[in-house]
Amino acid sequence: MPRINELALLPKLPLLITESADEFDALSHAFEREIKPRGIIEQMYVHDISSIVWEILRLRRCKVVIINSAFRGALQNLLKKLLRQPGQYEYEVEDEAEALAQTWFTDQEAKKQVSEILTRFDLDESAIEAEAIRRSSADLELLDRMLTSLESRRNKALGCVAEYRASLAHQLRESADRFVDGKGVLRLEDAASKRSTAA
Amino acid sequence: MASERQIAANRRNARKSTGPRSTAGKKRAGRNAYRHGLSVSMSSNAAFAKELDRLVREIAGDTKNAIVLERARAVAEAELDLARVRRAKVALIERASAFGELDPPRPSRVTAFQLLRVLKAIVRNPGEPIADGVTFSEPIGSLATMPSQEPYRSAEAVRRVLPELRKLNRYERRAAMRRDRAVRDLWVEQK
Repeated sequence: MPRINELALLPKLPLLITESADEFDALSHAFEREIKPRGIIEQMYVHDISSIVWEILRLRRCKVVIINSAFRGALQNLLKKLLRQPGQYEYEVEDEAEALAQTWFTDQEAKKQVSEILTRFDLDESAIEAEAIRRSSADLELLDRMLTSLESRRNKALGCVAEYRASLAHQLRESADRFVDGKGVLRLEDAASKRSTAA
Repeated sequence: MASERQIAANRRNARKSTGPRSTAGKKRAGRNAYRHGLSVSMSSNAAFAKELDRLVREIAGDTKNAIVLERARAVAEAELDLARVRRAKVALIERASAFGELDPPRPSRVTAFQLLRVLKAIVRNPGEPIADGVTFSEPIGSLATMPSQEPYRSAEAVRRVLPELRKLNRYERRAAMRRDRAVRDLWVEQK
């Protein structure tokens, strides 16, 4: 289905091949329903907000996947430290740790074995997650900075819509007042007096 | 503190540092500040100029006021800049996903370890052909280490271009600020 922008003048947000255009359109329409943009400027801000939120979702997804991807290496690293007996070098338990880390994802027996090893040191599976986060902390920090910046821009864009709307309302109120006060239209008595002067 | 003699020597030396002299050097130095090319004005591009004009007309309405038109042009330009940087971001991620990295792979270099192996082979068998028993393993390509399944592949692509994405983010933020300022100027003018 082709992606239709309500105002075709605004450039469409390019998506990754793996992203769903329908999902983006649904998100965009949800914002339009909520904000009800009037005019191109408000439409521009709504488009901006949808694009930013879409990118926030993309980066958040990445964050989770980056942590999950680091799980195997994290588990292996942790097991190497936990399996090592006093006087033993890490490389001596490397093969065992690698084999256990590889089968941990699919084999219940390996999962049980890892759990027992962790319990021996008063640890649980959250220790694996912590190690995965530690190993990917440089990437996560960069991602977090980008997310913070995007979230602040999203809030600013929302503020801009409100500010623009308030300014427009103020402008409309002022011109309405001008008409009510008779400054914007010719008064009837003025028109009549002008006619009598001319006569 | 520098002595009079040192100051004079510094000045003499500084006079010698007048930048590149050859045409090639000047050309190279001329691109010193080049980063991503997104700051280059696109209004000379015909398709962009047409798109810009249509957007300006939509923002300004049917006004003949030159100042309003100018303000509307600033809004439209910033908006199209935002679109350009968003396209660049997606293109970078797609490129990293397809090739595993942004830059073409460098020709493989001999590592110190590999060189040591060659030297050992020479010492062990002086006069024998060096290649016997000594092989240089090819470095693992960036594409080979890309996960094949989604969402892992896209996430890995994003991870690999994170520094570039951050730079583009900064540019995007500046374009958005320019647009917001231009919108405010437009309100003031339309009052």
